[in-house]
Amino acid sequence: MSLIQSGTPTARVPATTEPAGPVTEAPRRRRLGRERPNWLAGVLSVIWLLLVLVPIYYMVNGSFRTRQDYLTDNPLRPPADPTLDNYESVFTGGFGRYFVNNIVVTVGTVAIVVALTVPAAYAVARNAEPLVQRGFSIMLIGLAVPAQATIIPVYLLINQLHLYDTLLAIILPTAAFALPVSLLVMTNSLRDIPNELYEAQTLDGAGAFGTLRHLVLPLAKPAITTVAVFTAMGAWNGFLFPLVLTQSADQRTLTVGLTTFQSQFGTNVPGLLAAVTLSLLPIFFVYLFGRRYLLSGLTAGFGK
Amino acid sequence: MSPRRLSRVAVSATTLVLAGSLAACGSSGPSGGGGGGDAAQVWALQDTTLNPIEQASIDRFNESSKVGDVELQTFGNDPYKQRLRTAINSANAPDVFFNWGGGNLKEYVDAGKIEDLTPMLDENPELRDAFLPSVLAGAEIDGKQYGLPMRGVQPVLLFNNKEVLASAGIDGSPATWDDLLADVAALKAKGITPIALAGSQSWTELMWAEYLLDRVGGPEVFQNIRDGKNGGWAQPEVLQAMTMLKELIDAGAFGEDFASVGYDVGGASTILAEGQAGFHLMGSWEFTNQLGQSPDFVKAGNLGYGPFPAVTGGKGDPSNLVGNVSNFYSITKDSDAKEAAEEYVKTALTDETYVSDLVEAGDVMPITGVRDQLAAGDNADYTTTIYDQVANAQNFQLSWDQDLQADVATKMLTELQNFFLGEQTPEGFVSALAG
Amino acid sequence: MAAQGRERPSGWYLTPALTFFGVFAVLPMVLVVYLSFTDWDGFGFPSPSGAGNWSRLVSDPEVRHSLGLTLVFMVLGWVVQTPIALLIGVWAAGRQRNRAVLSSIFFLPVLLSTAAIALLWHSVLDPNFGLTQQLPVLDRFNFLGDPSIVVYTVAWVLTWQFVPFHTLLYQSAARGIPVSIYEAATIDGAGRYRQFFRITLPLLRYTVITSTVLMLVGSVTTFDTILILTNGGPGTATRIAPLYMYQVGFSGFEFGYASTIAVVLLVLGAGLSLAVTRLTGFRAMTSQQEGL
Repeated sequence: MSLIQSGTPTARVPATTEPAGPVTEAPRRRRLGRERPNWLAGVLSVIWLLLVLVPIYYMVNGSFRTRQDYLTDNPLRPPADPTLDNYESVFTGGFGRYFVNNIVVTVGTVAIVVALTVPAAYAVARNAEPLVQRGFSIMLIGLAVPAQATIIPVYLLINQLHLYDTLLAIILPTAAFALPVSLLVMTNSLRDIPNELYEAQTLDGAGAFGTLRHLVLPLAKPAITTVAVFTAMGAWNGFLFPLVLTQSADQRTLTVGLTTFQSQFGTNVPGLLAAVTLSLLPIFFVYLFGRRYLLSGLTAGFGK
Repeated sequence: MSPRRLSRVAVSATTLVLAGSLAACGSSGPSGGGGGGDAAQVWALQDTTLNPIEQASIDRFNESSKVGDVELQTFGNDPYKQRLRTAINSANAPDVFFNWGGGNLKEYVDAGKIEDLTPMLDENPELRDAFLPSVLAGAEIDGKQYGLPMRGVQPVLLFNNKEVLASAGIDGSPATWDDLLADVAALKAKGITPIALAGSQSWTELMWAEYLLDRVGGPEVFQNIRDGKNGGWAQPEVLQAMTMLKELIDAGAFGEDFASVGYDVGGASTILAEGQAGFHLMGSWEFTNQLGQSPDFVKAGNLGYGPFPAVTGGKGDPSNLVGNVSNFYSITKDSDAKEAAEEYVKTALTDETYVSDLVEAGDVMPITGVRDQLAAGDNADYTTTIYDQVANAQNFQLSWDQDLQADVATKMLTELQNFFLGEQTPEGFVSALAG
Repeated sequence: MAAQGRERPSGWYLTPALTFFGVFAVLPMVLVVYLSFTDWDGFGFPSPSGAGNWSRLVSDPEVRHSLGLTLVFMVLGWVVQTPIALLIGVWAAGRQRNRAVLSSIFFLPVLLSTAAIALLWHSVLDPNFGLTQQLPVLDRFNFLGDPSIVVYTVAWVLTWQFVPFHTLLYQSAARGIPVSIYEAATIDGAGRYRQFFRITLPLLRYTVITSTVLMLVGSVTTFDTILILTNGGPGTATRIAPLYMYQVGFSGFEFGYASTIAVVLLVLGAGLSLAVTRLTGFRAMTSQQEGL
């Protein structure tokens, strides 16, 4: 939940993915770049770079070591005798299963959130009835409410619904707590659609549903991306709900699975590092190929 | 179509999408298993050495079983109790589950969750006779039997690294508390952490308090605490034992780093095996772990062990043990695969191959007549020592955190961790728990 | 067919979301208040216990300690993360090639899950076998085991985890500042640092607010990182309120008392939500563009 929980947009902003043309003029900017280099910023950046890279290098490098090698040699030196055994034991330890579960949880959560948020935001943006606005207010109170605080009743509820130890048990509350942020982002973006466009729909004789389909959905795409990316990260990272609401290895998600690896591997630190590295890889590839999309999606709804 | 109707269509469309996605997820959930359909679920702790033995036992059982299959599920030590408590009310409760007996099991018995195994033992007297009576008593509550021993006895011993001790001029295990203090000083002088301690898991720290209180005041002191008699934690022996422990901590016996060392992740064991510490107070399973994780260390004969030292003038008998009497398998009352569960517990635990597999791994099953088998086995020296210790002990106290109510145990463990960190005085420890 | 074509959606469009939120978020919030007036050990059903849990809460020093810690992490997180994210973000907004490459590396931690980050740092900082033990100076510290250091250790790991995201916010905001403003300032002879304080910072004030709010909310809800990294330890040195609640509930099995602590968290969270929505005025929906 971490990213989701850390995420509450406050400032409203049109949900365009990139700053619009007239504002940034890249070619002219270059003239500034020709000034004397900014040493302070440069040095700070290099320090930060090291702080980010060294642990990640340590992780990838260490994952190719044997346990003995790791214990005796400097962990930053490349392994004298690289091995893939750690990766093999991670896979035989159930990594694939955990991974698939994580994907199911993530996709399921995103599907629910998007399906619920778009029509809801449309209503909030275009319907001034007090009842609707009050409903919106109620959901906004959930913005900063820590999901952990409800874990005990959620556990009770899931148990009553006979969903304990299913992936659905994770998906439902995760989606519910992702709703306030998503609704807020989405509503802001729908409010930015010029009134004339809505009115044009009315003139064309379109009803609410037609407007939703032909106007709102296409124009809300950037906001949907933001909501999807943000919800996906929250669901992908979720820890407490899977920890408490599932127990069997079949229903274990990757995050909880990683901590299981920790006690399984014991002091076989390389084994754990291999598992952590593997958990990063798939997202890393998404990042490589869809960096712009992913990063702009993360921030588009949050103001510039 | 009227706008009203349109919006209703929209709503139902959304609901449909929602229902569809729920159904999709739902069907992908249970198909994975709820843990595996009809097979009886057996819950145990994660353990690199023991899990294959347990799995093999289950495989053998399943091959010939006429009453249905059994399936093993394993969990890390720390989350285990949480999982058990949250699952026990659900449809996914285990059928057979691992436990420590004592007060911990009693909570489940009192809640009416546990099957009484007394009738099973009455029908099969040879089963009752197969186990050491003193160990069987660990899962006996109000005269009824609620669990059967599923692995070896686990008293806590003071392990050592012989090579390290020799390098500091120490010969073998300390016989008295004063000897131990002298050994600590000698090791410190050599620049070695005297005692390895996995302080990030406070039950490892608890072992020191358990033994000291026993040696100082005898087993009755803790029994009074548990039963809420005679002033409980406020008994003077508690303060005396904690003061002695404080001296040991202040002498730097556990080094500087213990607070972030874990046992589950093998930290403390590796520190001992790698020669970074001289002693390690731990349950008898430490031997099995060392055998699995650092086989060279054990095979070179460098892993030493001995009883907890005596305290001069103390009331507790030096033969007294603390630790886990054994671990037990209990059957849940609401089990929907009870036949398989009962059959498994009835036949598999005394199965020859299971017992000999465990013996080979260094585990001492509390089976009558197992001593000869132990003496002929691989680690005869160690296993017979354990067997004799248990057989000769005047008292075998179950670990406090298993014998106390969960809320008291949790509070005690937190206070104890603060105590080891030097943030709590012996007096403060006593008043925090007595108050 | 409705020729008059009113596009305004009916309130029913909000209903599915509201219902869903009601069942899986509001209902639990209501239930947790109820549970705070009961005793429940996980077996059977909760039994009413009056205000017992509440009077215990008032006199429980651990509650004060854990809430205080939450506040410490809130302040510490903001003080440390904001300048770093602001500086790197503004720097990374530059269009130079090397900055683009470097900043894509800066964002790597965003891709790691919380559990992965906590486990990674746990092994980096291990006092016996960790990376820091092999490095000069750092090997003298026990980052996870020393109660006087561990708070800073946790704050650092949280910084490592969240700075990239906030950097991203500042980067995209800084890119939105019109170049012409800087050019005018340069002509007026304003140096780089003056430009930063006179132009960049004031123009980024809304982003600072956004980022601050995200950090505040984040620190109320920080949980898994600490659970995995230190489990609240050593002792209670990092046992923040949500973790204390979790341990009372799921180790001590006092679900009633744990619910009482949870209610406190709920009130804090809801209060923060209200403050955020009121103070930043986003509900009023005045466009932020004017501020730019």
